[in-house]
Amino acid sequence: MENSRRHFLKRTCALVAGASVYPLSRNDANAETDIETNDIKYAMLHDETKCIGCNACVDACREVNQVPEGVSRLSIERSEPYGEYPDQFYHFTRHSCEHCEAAPCVTVCPTGAAFIDKETGIVAVNADRCVGCLYCIAACPYEVRFINPVTKAADKCDFCRETNLKQGKQPACVEACPTKALVFGNLKDPKSELVTLLKANPTKRSKLDLGTRPKLFRIKAKEGEIIL
Amino acid sequence: MSVNKWLMPLGFGLLSLFLSQGVSCAEATAQINQDSSCMKCHKRNGAMHGHHAQDSLKLSCSSCHGERGNHPRKPNNMMVFSSESNLSLESKNAVCLKCHIPTKLAKKEWTHNVHAQKTSCTSCHKLHPKLDPMTGLSDQDRSQERSNVCRNCHTVQR
Repeated sequence: MENSRRHFLKRTCALVAGASVYPLSRNDANAETDIETNDIKYAMLHDETKCIGCNACVDACREVNQVPEGVSRLSIERSEPYGEYPDQFYHFTRHSCEHCEAAPCVTVCPTGAAFIDKETGIVAVNADRCVGCLYCIAACPYEVRFINPVTKAADKCDFCRETNLKQGKQPACVEACPTKALVFGNLKDPKSELVTLLKANPTKRSKLDLGTRPKLFRIKAKEGEIIL
Repeated sequence: MSVNKWLMPLGFGLLSLFLSQGVSCAEATAQINQDSSCMKCHKRNGAMHGHHAQDSLKLSCSSCHGERGNHPRKPNNMMVFSSESNLSLESKNAVCLKCHIPTKLAKKEWTHNVHAQKTSCTSCHKLHPKLDPMTGLSDQDRSQERSNVCRNCHTVQR
């Protein structure tokens, strides 16, 4: 009698323990497989050799994403002219969110307003959660974040996640570019135009040494001067 | 105070009205459009209405288009700036650069630099009409129009 009660208790305890641990382990396993099966990771390529500095991308971004005047999610920086008149050229650099894999803005955000969309790899902002503490603006090494004067929340490029991507279109800047200097695509799709171009061309990403692992690639323009 | 608020724009408005009137009057009587030997035939396409028609610039048709010579009967050295003209790019632009200084052009608008050897001035600028289509295009609120001008040439097939 004594013996069977002990057995009963032992077995019940084991069962309860097992039952409580099982869902945890299953969740973990699921999460891992989720990441593995997730096959979208958006990135962008700016071919500086094709860019003409027309700012069509900047205008399109402003229009599509309703970015108010005075701030911008995207700008094209123009260098000083290289060479002597009449044979001169400029360099154009895209200045916008680099969609870091290890995004400092997301790490510092105290409210979770800045987040990386697990499904697409896009670094985005949940304006409703943002309290405007400016931590992310201070933390971003690329200085692309700003406070949107209308929503009073931190704002930046999100590859048109809320606008064009939702409608199944390419980001506004990519659609607007007359010279096709901007290519948007899925890094995990080996057949995408983006990946083919990345494989065929030497590309650069800025401030790689910070360990941010940005997803804005650049085909650099020819060197303009001799730097010793 | 409120009266002042009203008066200022009103004054400016009137002033600009008078000025524009003055300009249009000047146009009709502009010295450059009185050149009877050219205007006899080129009444329709010859009149200057733009900035370059000002008397103070002392320009005549020949300042840009060259001396008449044997025109129109025999081969001549007259300069035509339309896109059909087979003048070389350099000779077309040299006419503008007689007065315009490249460094000043570059300061005003960076695109002058990169196009100096590639396009003629007249492929963007129009001197005869009242308003050169490029005027004021670098204003902030006309950025879309501006990029459309770039798009006219810099477009690749998708």
